Amino acid sequence: MEPCFTPDQAYAEAGRCLLCFDAPCSKGCPAGTDPGTFIRKLRLRNIKGAIATVKNNNILGGICGILCPVSGLCEKECAATPIDRPIQIGRVQRFLIEHGRKLKFNPLEKKEPNNINIAIIGCGPSGLSCAAELAKEGFSVDIFEKKPKPGGVMRYLIPDHRLSKEFLNEELKDISSLGVNIRYKSPVESGEELEKLLKEGYRAVYIATGTWGMKSLGLASVYKGFYNAKEFLEKCKSTEKPDMKKIISGKRVCVIGGGDTAIDAAESALILDAKDVSIVYRRSFAQMPGDENGKIEALKSGINFLILTQPVKYLTNGGRITGIEAVRNKLGTSDTSGRPRPVPISGSSHIISTDIIIEAIGFGPEDDSKMLFEKFKLSEKGLILVDEKTGTTSKKSFYAGGDITRGPSLIPEAVADGKRAAKAILEDMELS
Amino acid sequence: MAKLLDLSIDFCDVKFPNPVLLSSSPVSNTAEMIGRAFEYGFGGVAYKTLGFDNIKIIHPSPRMAGYTYGSNNLIGLQNVEQITDRPLQDNLMDIEYLKKHWSNHVVIASIMGFSEEEWIELAKMAAGSGADILELNFSCPHMTVEGSGMKVGQSFGLIEKFTSTVRNVVDIPILAKMTPNITDITEPALSAKKGGADGLTAINTVRALTEIGLDDNVPKPNVAGIGAMSGYSGPAIKPIGLRCVTELAQCTDLNLPIAGCGGIETWVDTTEYLLCGASLVQITTGVVHYGYRIVEDILEGLSYYMEEKGFKSISEIVGKALPNIQPTDRFDLSRQGVGEYDLDRCVGCGQCYIVCQDAGGQCIDWDYDKRRPVHDEEKCLGCMICSFICPVSDPPLISYREVKNKKSVIPPVSE
Repeated sequence: MEPCFTPDQAYAEAGRCLLCFDAPCSKGCPAGTDPGTFIRKLRLRNIKGAIATVKNNNILGGICGILCPVSGLCEKECAATPIDRPIQIGRVQRFLIEHGRKLKFNPLEKKEPNNINIAIIGCGPSGLSCAAELAKEGFSVDIFEKKPKPGGVMRYLIPDHRLSKEFLNEELKDISSLGVNIRYKSPVESGEELEKLLKEGYRAVYIATGTWGMKSLGLASVYKGFYNAKEFLEKCKSTEKPDMKKIISGKRVCVIGGGDTAIDAAESALILDAKDVSIVYRRSFAQMPGDENGKIEALKSGINFLILTQPVKYLTNGGRITGIEAVRNKLGTSDTSGRPRPVPISGSSHIISTDIIIEAIGFGPEDDSKMLFEKFKLSEKGLILVDEKTGTTSKKSFYAGGDITRGPSLIPEAVADGKRAAKAILEDMELS
Repeated sequence: MAKLLDLSIDFCDVKFPNPVLLSSSPVSNTAEMIGRAFEYGFGGVAYKTLGFDNIKIIHPSPRMAGYTYGSNNLIGLQNVEQITDRPLQDNLMDIEYLKKHWSNHVVIASIMGFSEEEWIELAKMAAGSGADILELNFSCPHMTVEGSGMKVGQSFGLIEKFTSTVRNVVDIPILAKMTPNITDITEPALSAKKGGADGLTAINTVRALTEIGLDDNVPKPNVAGIGAMSGYSGPAIKPIGLRCVTELAQCTDLNLPIAGCGGIETWVDTTEYLLCGASLVQITTGVVHYGYRIVEDILEGLSYYMEEKGFKSISEIVGKALPNIQPTDRFDLSRQGVGEYDLDRCVGCGQCYIVCQDAGGQCIDWDYDKRRPVHDEEKCLGCMICSFICPVSDPPLISYREVKNKKSVIPPVSE
């Protein structure tokens, strides 16, 4: 992880802030963290007030400070840009959280218990955000988590070099301090089990299971040297990391895809001492959906970008990956995503030699989620449809948010959904 | 250094190669230091104040505290350093050495006696060692020795007495260094003149408290649990220095040449002091902050400025602003104006809206959709506070424009 600002650096950054009226950066934050306010507080040396603002607005404020693609959100709106450069809001936000830990300052307050039980399915960013908001309001919250540890993507997929386990654990301590109860290895596996929660006394259920299914190009069966990004990143985050290092070290690695996950996988391979790492992407650099800064950092770190390249076949020898047969694309007319369509150039077939292929072409709902959510109105992609203002689903007392409603999206959006549902639950219980 | 115009100036009949001097302080403590300053380009020095060895000088520790504002270090400096702690003989030998090796440069010996006899002896010895000018330190605001420094400078009889004491024993010019810690700086200056002073140095540091420790409740510098009101210097006091120099320069009964000091770091500060009537400037805090090298930029800047404005010598600049500095009752109140907005360059921060609402005439409204101020010239007081906080400069987005026959704006009574 890159080093945190020192207090002097943070004050200097706050010193550049224009202290805008009706601050546009605050409007640019999906999670409602309100940088306009916390930077002003820091500038006027009210550092505890600044920490409290971040913490109360965004229970994962520290992690968002590190992982948010700020150049497309709050910092994109910064009014200082035309005369200077944007304030480094993400870094200031992270500083405040780390500084709060140094001061042992916990501004979170909890109302008297109201003895209302709420169940949350999934202990990722959205579930945690909803849990924290409800716990602050006095609800008794149980999170049902399939995995043995909390954090979801933050623990199991985001590489250590972007977010350390220690940082994550510190951030989650504050949520535990609110009295949120997490039941690990407790998957909710069917529609009946979901229904049963209400009978067990939970007055509302917030579904935030995420999208842990991996899309595939369908070019591979079980080959040695072939991984999907989820599996690869999970191994890199687990006790299998030394084994992965043995496998990747000295090898040529191709990562297929152009999003943040592809970049995470490519950088992880580089950290495991791969000899050569290439990102293979079917459109051009500009259309890669990954965060701009992440793309530039990946370039700087020496990762090859094989753009306008479309794999058509994986080559193997004795069940082991040896290369990719690919064609060159050109950019055609725009497709439904507004980006130019990749059009194969005839006769451009060529072979990319590689030892390892990692597919990172997108996440979607897991295969079993259709069964779990059979009673809910779902989108074509299998995502739960919710009311935009409240996060309520088609079923009474069930709310949902995060990736399982949006598809793969940003952590601040997941946080926002959690807050939104908590507010709706509060209103529906007629407590507000 | 670029090739410079002639920056020399005569002051009390002594020729200075240029008007930029070190002031009497830690930056002019030894000949070795001063020699280096001369190499960088300083035209002269007011040597660190001499005193007799019978009163042992021990500097408090720590002796200084820097004052930081936002990200700006050393906008002010508070110090409790005393006069020199070196043996008198060493200092006199250093002055002699400097005059031998730097004959074109001017050495002003600052002295402080703790009795009439001491003033006499110090004056004679300093003059004897070759000093070109004497500067009588009537103004150190934090001497730990009773009846010295600023205490003298605040009692006009003593100023006159000690100045004439010195006048009677030396032939070289005498400057009186004035404290700003007084109601009207011209009064002690007139006493110094009566005593025979040939010129004035103004100002010494401003007696102040810059910061109080929130954990230990001790002001800085924290000298083993005790702080003290003491000398404050640096850019923060430039406005006070300019005021004092102007008051001295405008006092017709006085009519003495002035060495200006207080917060000078750049050629712009230097020129402002010259325009207000100083013929020389003296610098300490600028050197504490940046080192002797700043003199290169002061001299070059001054030379380019003279070239630009067509000045042939430094003396032509001296006092140029004085006719424009008048009592407030001379203002022509019939001439009024407004802020003029160049909104094409606006970045939409809205600070102008906030300050106009809360501290101005409420003449700005806010367009939430466009994120732009909506300025009503009729209601505008022309107070210009909006222009102080507007981040768009070069040229400023908000400028002052005079409006002929502007109706005065009186806020109405709340309904």
